[in-house]
Amino acid sequence: MSNPLHAAHYADSARQCRVAIAENVQVARDTYRVRLHCEEIAGRILPGQFVMVRLSGCNDPLLGRPLAVYDVVPDAAGHALDLIYHVKGRFTTRLARCERGQPLDLWGPLGNGFPVLPCTHLVMVAGGVGQTPFLTLAKEHLGRQQFGAPPRSVVPVPRVTLCFGAQSHEFMAGIADFEAQGVDVRLATEDGSAGQRGLVTELLEQILAAAPSTGSATALRVVCCGPEAMMRTAAQIAARYQVPCLVSLETPMACGIGICFTCVAKIRQKSGWDYKRTCVEGPVFDARDVCW
Amino acid sequence: MTNLPAQNSDLDLRVRLGRLELANPILVASGTFGYAREMEHLVDLRSLGAVIPKTVTAEPRCGNPPWRTVETASGLLNSIGLDNDGIEAFVAHHLPYLRETGTRVIVSIAGRNPEEYVQLAARLESAGGVDGLELNVSCPNVAGGIDFGTDPDQCGKLVAAVRRACSLPLLAKLTPNVTRIAVVAQAAAQGGADAVSVINTLLGMAVDWRRRRPVLGNVLGGLSGPAIKPVALRCVYQVAQAVAVPVVGIGGIATIDDVLEFLVAGASAVQIGTANYYDPTVSQRLVAALPAALAEAGVRRVVDLVGTLNTDN
Repeated sequence: MSNPLHAAHYADSARQCRVAIAENVQVARDTYRVRLHCEEIAGRILPGQFVMVRLSGCNDPLLGRPLAVYDVVPDAAGHALDLIYHVKGRFTTRLARCERGQPLDLWGPLGNGFPVLPCTHLVMVAGGVGQTPFLTLAKEHLGRQQFGAPPRSVVPVPRVTLCFGAQSHEFMAGIADFEAQGVDVRLATEDGSAGQRGLVTELLEQILAAAPSTGSATALRVVCCGPEAMMRTAAQIAARYQVPCLVSLETPMACGIGICFTCVAKIRQKSGWDYKRTCVEGPVFDARDVCW
Repeated sequence: MTNLPAQNSDLDLRVRLGRLELANPILVASGTFGYAREMEHLVDLRSLGAVIPKTVTAEPRCGNPPWRTVETASGLLNSIGLDNDGIEAFVAHHLPYLRETGTRVIVSIAGRNPEEYVQLAARLESAGGVDGLELNVSCPNVAGGIDFGTDPDQCGKLVAAVRRACSLPLLAKLTPNVTRIAVVAQAAAQGGADAVSVINTLLGMAVDWRRRRPVLGNVLGGLSGPAIKPVALRCVYQVAQAVAVPVVGIGGIATIDDVLEFLVAGASAVQIGTANYYDPTVSQRLVAALPAALAEAGVRRVVDLVGTLNTDN
């Protein structure tokens, strides 16, 4: 792409589809997983990419909401798409009440997603429902499943760790899904109900401090998704240990396809910074490029 | 009106906005379609009556701080703040792409003063490949922007100044945030506008009472979406009664029924705005739905529907 004003990741492989909910189940407190049979999107989505989801024919709530892909599972037509959402606003409250058969409008896959991360130890740092984009990333990097069309090749990574933090154990969705893939799962909760009492970023610090000399640039890679304060701290810790760190930003979005200029984040430029659209330039950014 | 069964082959979707002829009346509104490249794989750009890319200004603008939009009941408040890379970057990088799309391109411009509008218009005319200009005299999110649209005298003079400097067809995009929009529309028409675009967003705000903070970074924003459709229809109706130039209807249009309501109320064409955000392929589906809608209305030409509202008791 030679045009300097064009973003790197337009919705060039996106499709807009109307699909019925196949399954909508609670997986943790205030947290649900919705399954959609949609080969057009599921067959092409990459870890870290997202879809926009909207209640069909409904003007209130009006806009679609961005949801990261949680899993891609085989179904009769190819693949189904699993999305995880935390109930906190008008849309997710409505979605949680939807039953099998309710039509949803979706468009995707959207955004850049995670690149292939060659390393010896991939450390995924998640807060709240920030674990959502990491299950597919872990499966891919452990050699369990390929994603994208054509399927993306990844040299398996020997070790993948999920540092997962939440207010309390009851909010933590999908721990067993990660463990089933062979991910080393470490928990931190604010109330001490699971894992270490404290913040998830303390788990990251412990891992990096214990790692053998991180002089080799490809030894460790950190990816991070969750509340902004948590990502900022994780980025600072990774920088201190000179470990490359990617963050998946969760800026509010209206369209998800680059046309509304809502979801901008301050991204460092050669000189100073510029607002960049998270949906078509991200949501995954090098942590060093984000002006927190 | 007789209900003649219309054959698709007989249908005439063309509309005329002054000196500008369009293949059909479905346009996409400035600020809701990026620079068209974003939508290349979702929408057949050639199917649209025209594309109006995001407003361009003389200098680059980084736009307003987040939050820039917030959803309200059946609507969207925005305060993007004309985030754009400036006219020279637009001419160098966006315009070449837009020219190649094979659809009509109407460029939306906004200046801080009449001189800037004139400079922008002259630059775009000399750049070539632009089918028309839409003067954004109604952006509520930048200081000064709305002034030209609220004062009929200033609005008329501004349109006239651009008219003298540039031979491209001109649309003036008007704000509903006035007592009498028809008076502003008359001034724009007298200034030489080929058409008037009605309406831009309604000034509004959202408050987070728990934090005692406005939700938008810029405090105030412009309301769009289905929530404003009745206001937009009223404005189109009033303006169409008051001016001889064509009216382009904008405001909450998302379905083929919406499109026909605006045509009947007096719009010669419509722009799809916020609906592009929540239904990305809507514009091309509306073009595809027009023939059946014309058949249902018993007309063969879009122009035969324009302003056919019967208000007799």
